[in-house]
Amino acid sequence: MYDVIIIGGAAAGSTAGIYAARRKMKTLILTKDIGGQASITPSVENYPGFLEVPGFELMQRFQEQAIKSGAEIIFEEVVEIREKGRSFFVKTQTNEYEAKALILTFGKTPRSLNVPGEKEFLGKGVSYCATCDLPVFRDKTVAVVGGGNSALDAALYGSEIARKLYLIHRRDKFRGFEYLVERVKEKDNVEFVLNSIVTEIKGEKFVKSIIVKNVLNNTEKEIDVDGIFIEIGYETKVDFVKDLVKLDEQNQVMINKNCETFYPNSDKIHPGIFAAGDLTDTPFKQIVISAGEGAKAALQAYNYIHCMKPVVADWSKG
Amino acid sequence: MVVKIYTTKYCPYCQMAKQFFKQNDIEFEEIDVSSNKEAAKEMIEKSGQMGVPVIDINGNIIVGFNLNAIKKALKIK
Repeated sequence: MYDVIIIGGAAAGSTAGIYAARRKMKTLILTKDIGGQASITPSVENYPGFLEVPGFELMQRFQEQAIKSGAEIIFEEVVEIREKGRSFFVKTQTNEYEAKALILTFGKTPRSLNVPGEKEFLGKGVSYCATCDLPVFRDKTVAVVGGGNSALDAALYGSEIARKLYLIHRRDKFRGFEYLVERVKEKDNVEFVLNSIVTEIKGEKFVKSIIVKNVLNNTEKEIDVDGIFIEIGYETKVDFVKDLVKLDEQNQVMINKNCETFYPNSDKIHPGIFAAGDLTDTPFKQIVISAGEGAKAALQAYNYIHCMKPVVADWSKG
Repeated sequence: MVVKIYTTKYCPYCQMAKQFFKQNDIEFEEIDVSSNKEAAKEMIEKSGQMGVPVIDINGNIIVGFNLNAIKKALKIK
């Protein structure tokens, strides 16, 4: 039995791990990767104490410090949480763990299209990381879906690699930077498919085509592609917490200033469940803010376990 | 023990896997498929995957940065 299980191993989770372990709580961090979204950032220039540092390196240091402080890290993906009495049972694909308190810090994951074929062909032509996987599609035909900077970046990068690239966007105007739109337009091998959504991904062993629907006139057409890169932003994956905590309209976990959560559709605090970082309704998604909130959540969890009383500032420890 | 990792230049999960091998003193051969079309083909045939990283540990094919599978294949805790 752990005192606290932290779900997520990036800025908020690792910092919560450091603070929880230093308070001598038996601490487990369950995570599927090192450093989440921050790890994909090539260069971080706004984390105090570091003039410039690769995101992955910074997140590795976070995790190392959590381990050094005494937290245990297990790389498993959580599939279910059950509450029984004053205990929480956290089930992963392979194990089950029990704790007195939970800190949710699993951030956001790439948003999916939710169309037939998307799950089936993941890694077989469907990708959520153009930076990672586009180079595998040299001289092939690909589609990029989205209208923000990451979709435009992917299209620009992809135009250098693919033979032909379709940029599919559900509106006719892009949310991304104008200069990026202009640069993509200059590419001869990029075809814009605007006011259109992807309704199906088809293939056999690998992706072979996509069905695209024009939202203005409702006509559908099939486009032959070898790969499809989905760059439509991030969302909070709430499957295993939606029955436990209150969410806002964007599916973000709602917290109070002490990083406590609420029961679903209620203003009553849910004892024992805390949350921090990008998955919460805190407006600014920044590494330094996630780290700060992770610390706060851990200290609040300590108070919950040891005193079961509201937080009282204690300047003597840290 | 033969460890091969198929990567692309800017893939963070490839970085994570390589870092893990280095920390555990495991020698590995890196094949950057972004600059090598033949290697990309080999990777796709071996794994049935068009995404990186693909890791080959003594013929065990692991797709993505799946630490548990990597540890199991390397027989380390």
